[in-house]
Amino acid sequence: MSKRQLAMVIDLNKCLGCQTCTMACKTQWTNRSGRDYMYWNNVETAPGKGYPKMWMESGGGFDAEGALNAGRIPSLENDYGAPFDLNFESALGMAGAAEQGNRPWLRPAQNPAYGPNWDEDEGAGEYPNSYYFYLPRLCNHCSNPACVKACPRKAIYKREEDGIVLVDQSRCRGYQHCVAACPYKKVFFNPALGRSEKCIFCYPRVEQGTAPACARQCPGRVRFVGYLDDENGPVARLVNKHKVALRLREDFGTQPNVYYVPPLSPPKYDARGEITDEPRIPLEYLVKLFGPSVPHVLETLRTEMEKKKTGQSSELMDILIAYRHEEMFTLGAPAERQKT
Amino acid sequence: MLNRRKFLKVSGVCGAGLALPGGAMAGALHVDDPLRAYPSREWEEQYRKELAATRGDSEGFAFHCSNCQGNCAWRTGAQGGMIVREEQLAQYPQINPDIPDANPRGCNKGIIHSQAMYEKDRLLYPLKRAGKRGEGKWERVTWDRALEEIAAKVVEVIQKHGPGGLMIHAGTGILSQGKRAGPLRLGSLLGAIRLYPSSAVGDMFTGASVAYGVPNVGHSLDAWFEMDYILLWGINPSVTRIPDAHYLWEGRYRGARIVTIAPDYNPTSIHADMWVPVNPGTDSLLAMSLVNAAFEDKLYKEDFIKEQTDLPFLVRKDTGLLLRESDLRKDGSGDVFYFWDKKTNSLAEAPGSKGSKRDTLRLGGADPALEGTFTAQTRNGKVQVTTVFELARREAAKFSPEDTAERTGVPPAMARRIAREFAAAKKAGLTIGFSLHKYAWGILACWAQALFCALTGHAADTGGLDTESQWSLGGIGPLSNPKPARFASGFLSEWIAGGMDDSLKKHYGDKEFKARAGLDADALIKLSRESREKKWLAHYGEPKARIIFADNFFRRNKSAKNFKDTVLAATELLVAVNFRMDTSAESADYALPSFAHYEGWDIRGEVGYHRFANLVVPPPGLRPVGEAKSEWEICRLLAEKIEAAAKAGGVAKIPDPEFSVTVDGAQTAVTRDMDTLGADFTMGGRIATDKDVTRWLVENDPAFQPWKFEDAAARGFITLNREAGLTSPLYASKPYHSFEEQVYLRRPYPTLSGRQQFYVDHPLFLKLGAAVPTAREPLHPSRFPLKFYSPHTRWGIHSTWRTNKYMLRMQRGEPHVLLNASDAAKRGVSDGARIRVFNDVGEFFALAKIGAGVRPGSLVMEHAWEPHQFKGRAGLNSVVAGLLSPLELAGGWGHLKFGPEWDGNQLALESSVEVALAQASAGDT
Repeated sequence: MSKRQLAMVIDLNKCLGCQTCTMACKTQWTNRSGRDYMYWNNVETAPGKGYPKMWMESGGGFDAEGALNAGRIPSLENDYGAPFDLNFESALGMAGAAEQGNRPWLRPAQNPAYGPNWDEDEGAGEYPNSYYFYLPRLCNHCSNPACVKACPRKAIYKREEDGIVLVDQSRCRGYQHCVAACPYKKVFFNPALGRSEKCIFCYPRVEQGTAPACARQCPGRVRFVGYLDDENGPVARLVNKHKVALRLREDFGTQPNVYYVPPLSPPKYDARGEITDEPRIPLEYLVKLFGPSVPHVLETLRTEMEKKKTGQSSELMDILIAYRHEEMFTLGAPAERQKT
Repeated sequence: MLNRRKFLKVSGVCGAGLALPGGAMAGALHVDDPLRAYPSREWEEQYRKELAATRGDSEGFAFHCSNCQGNCAWRTGAQGGMIVREEQLAQYPQINPDIPDANPRGCNKGIIHSQAMYEKDRLLYPLKRAGKRGEGKWERVTWDRALEEIAAKVVEVIQKHGPGGLMIHAGTGILSQGKRAGPLRLGSLLGAIRLYPSSAVGDMFTGASVAYGVPNVGHSLDAWFEMDYILLWGINPSVTRIPDAHYLWEGRYRGARIVTIAPDYNPTSIHADMWVPVNPGTDSLLAMSLVNAAFEDKLYKEDFIKEQTDLPFLVRKDTGLLLRESDLRKDGSGDVFYFWDKKTNSLAEAPGSKGSKRDTLRLGGADPALEGTFTAQTRNGKVQVTTVFELARREAAKFSPEDTAERTGVPPAMARRIAREFAAAKKAGLTIGFSLHKYAWGILACWAQALFCALTGHAADTGGLDTESQWSLGGIGPLSNPKPARFASGFLSEWIAGGMDDSLKKHYGDKEFKARAGLDADALIKLSRESREKKWLAHYGEPKARIIFADNFFRRNKSAKNFKDTVLAATELLVAVNFRMDTSAESADYALPSFAHYEGWDIRGEVGYHRFANLVVPPPGLRPVGEAKSEWEICRLLAEKIEAAAKAGGVAKIPDPEFSVTVDGAQTAVTRDMDTLGADFTMGGRIATDKDVTRWLVENDPAFQPWKFEDAAARGFITLNREAGLTSPLYASKPYHSFEEQVYLRRPYPTLSGRQQFYVDHPLFLKLGAAVPTAREPLHPSRFPLKFYSPHTRWGIHSTWRTNKYMLRMQRGEPHVLLNASDAAKRGVSDGARIRVFNDVGEFFALAKIGAGVRPGSLVMEHAWEPHQFKGRAGLNSVVAGLLSPLELAGGWGHLKFGPEWDGNQLALESSVEVALAQASAGDT
């Protein structure tokens, strides 16, 4: 195991679904060099097919005995979605290309079959008991990473100082065993470079004391970043002390280091149109995603909200409120990091 | 363990790329356990280098001057003279340790502008039309030639038609004080027509104007954090207020109960404590039901309404007019009003009204009666009078929650519960969005909401109505408005210019409309004429030359095809100044390239969501994109060319007798000084560049003091001072709330009554039965089964960034509409199908998407797709009729006089449509 482990907590009760994180990551890392189709960070509407399409049913991870499960490599066109360009030249005619009468309208030069946010805001449930929530996803920098286990070259490793999982770009040969093995489908094959790439937890930023782009640039202020052994940091307190941050699909066996505060939801209506006190997101769905402690965590959240409302103190609410943006990230000063 | 080969089921990601490099295993490093230690990590430099490249070698500051009003501070990085990336500055100071700070303001659009600014729709050079209008054939011309030709036409038009023959309009694509200064100043010097942008785009909160005398009221959005109860009505802040929405969800953790009212289950509703689904356009009915509950369940705060509102004012029962001093005395004022003092059992003059000599709301020892009928001795005898309170309560009695439930879709118990909880909360806020006033009865909904807030005593720091808070930036006048311009009603001017009466008659020309609206389409059209003729609203006729800065008017306007054809036919010269080829520039005679957001110096500080004025400071060494110029430079050069053309034609000073100004205490007729236009524009050479403009603004706006230009430019933003507040001080460590001066210092409101106004005896309001807040049924024609509405999207700020590939890749690539599964199934429409949306106004084609949160019977399309993204360039406004709200045509009464505080709305959300599967034709798929 690495000496320390960086982790992220994502509060789904504050997520706006705005995709600023997705775009922050895109311009930071994936708008070039064969990575255009990749979304190292994505936000999907849940329930939904997700990104890549049906990733949750694509295999990978470990079975009960700790052996790798079979996994599927998603298709670029149909599962990730090809990154289209637009027909600006022919549609707008600024380059003098347009002919009268048959000027096309502005649209993708290639018709997309899927995309990273294809089922945005579609959700489920019968109106008015419709429901959905936003699920941001990135590489989980797992403590038992299936990608590491699957790589025949041992070209994927966990950094001992922070537990960030990296694909060695000088040694990867693009076999894609890692792509299939990752149950979250967060390793991507770079067709231009012939090797696999994925979220690097913005380690070059982290090394300078700056939080990953998706976290620091989140206007909803939903992401906390810090070391799990830093007991005073918000991450450790949310994960270990208050135990309100849960792993996504822990049953995949990879021990993710991205945690989620599960979502509350407004109450349903009964058949007569009267309001009930039953949350509209089905509990069994949340349990499938975040495990058996979901009911307990939701109850904790409600209890602590009530405490805060009635003027009592609540450390949990104070952390989640995040009074100071910079305090959401406890990475240590760059100089301090170098010593570790 | 499985053999690795077995579990690898390749399903085709770039098959060719899978070829395994020969001998790849050769020379492999010995790795013992990659979970513990990895021997060779030099390669990690690769991503470190990439990070450095995205930061560039020079840095600047920026914001986006777009009409989201977000106004967020960013740091820009440039490499080799090109912007490479932006990142939120996230340096705003926390104003109070008990309130979350404002970092990191920004959103998904601002964050990709570094990419969008170099996209292929970027205007690089001045273009002159080389084919028919809109044909897409262009000739690249020099700035000199383009401006000389435009200047010659401008001089010709002014000579022939006077200054009103010219329109110089700055649209909502540039809302910063820096970028607007150029077009506003040039238009003002020339006396050109300009439209009121907020009205043209339907963003006037007319209901608030009626109640408070100002449309933009409320609080800075950090105040959400301190609320105990938040009602979000027709607003979707998780989508439309991305930088501020955190205050809601953090406020919920602090203890706020958050209730959303909207037809669809939207990204804001998902985090609410309760979502109230409502039928589209029935908001005035629901609002009146809350008012009803406040009256009937006695939730009202007597002390508050006696002092702060006109509810105790007396109304003549014979005429329905407010009892005025002029009723009592021959030389009495029409602006002095009365209540019945219970202490003296007699009439008492209400202090603080427009005509009152007492500049206060303090009642002294008086105790105004809220209920009862009294006798007043007028100069023409005795008349019976009653109170506004009585009349408002009587009107509200028609709209009990039980009565409106079927129409609104809201169960009565829920309406009563909202009223009760709102009234009981210590600090309760009602924030409305821009959608309500895009319905004809938005004005009524908002006025009733204001009454509900007044009855429950919520105002200033105990909450109340929040439309959109705005700062008071004084001192800008000498720069942007040195002389009077022809400031015209936005919605009415465009409705007339585009011949929208045609679609009004088509879509609303039946008895159903008359029954609901209280007048038929012909009467409404006649009323629009009356409003213009009586100068209730300002209209200056049709300009022959239009120079339009950053306004996508052919995208935005309703009955779109007719609008475009009609406007083009009447316009001899159309110039579009923009950073990109939008749908409107596409039909122009000249398209001139301006700077986009990061390229020129700029400052913006009027938006009241937060207290920071941001600067744009271009990174040193940044290269211009093509031949783009700042708006200021374009206007300066144009001013010089107009002066030269005028002089060449022997034109010097043109008298403009419609306007006069006061010079040394004397009224002087305005002249349009063509012969000194160049020097007048630059204040005698003092302001030559966008940087000079920014410096001037920092130095001259009282709200920016004591910041020095150099210090502001080094920090990227200015924290506004106390002076920025309009009706309250902006305290250094507290959120801002409107009307503290009224509530605590008892200073009058800027209304006729001097109070929150709930009685309007304007003849039109009386005629339409709306002298007190009331409600009407929505006007969607039932001939078409689906109510069509188009809320703001998270994927663009109106049409800006709407065609950006990074944004489109996060959608479906082409315009789509959202339907409920049941409506889709009835029509054989499945997810992804291409459908035709149509009614008697027009049609357009789009992809269908099925959303579980869409209300059955409605069709939702996030707005502002560019028409050139649709088949046949027919955008979503092809099916939207040109509707008018009759009450918004009023004017010339009390505080309802045309100007920045009173103009109506271009309506957008009240048309009905049907959809059908589209017949596939060549090139569709």
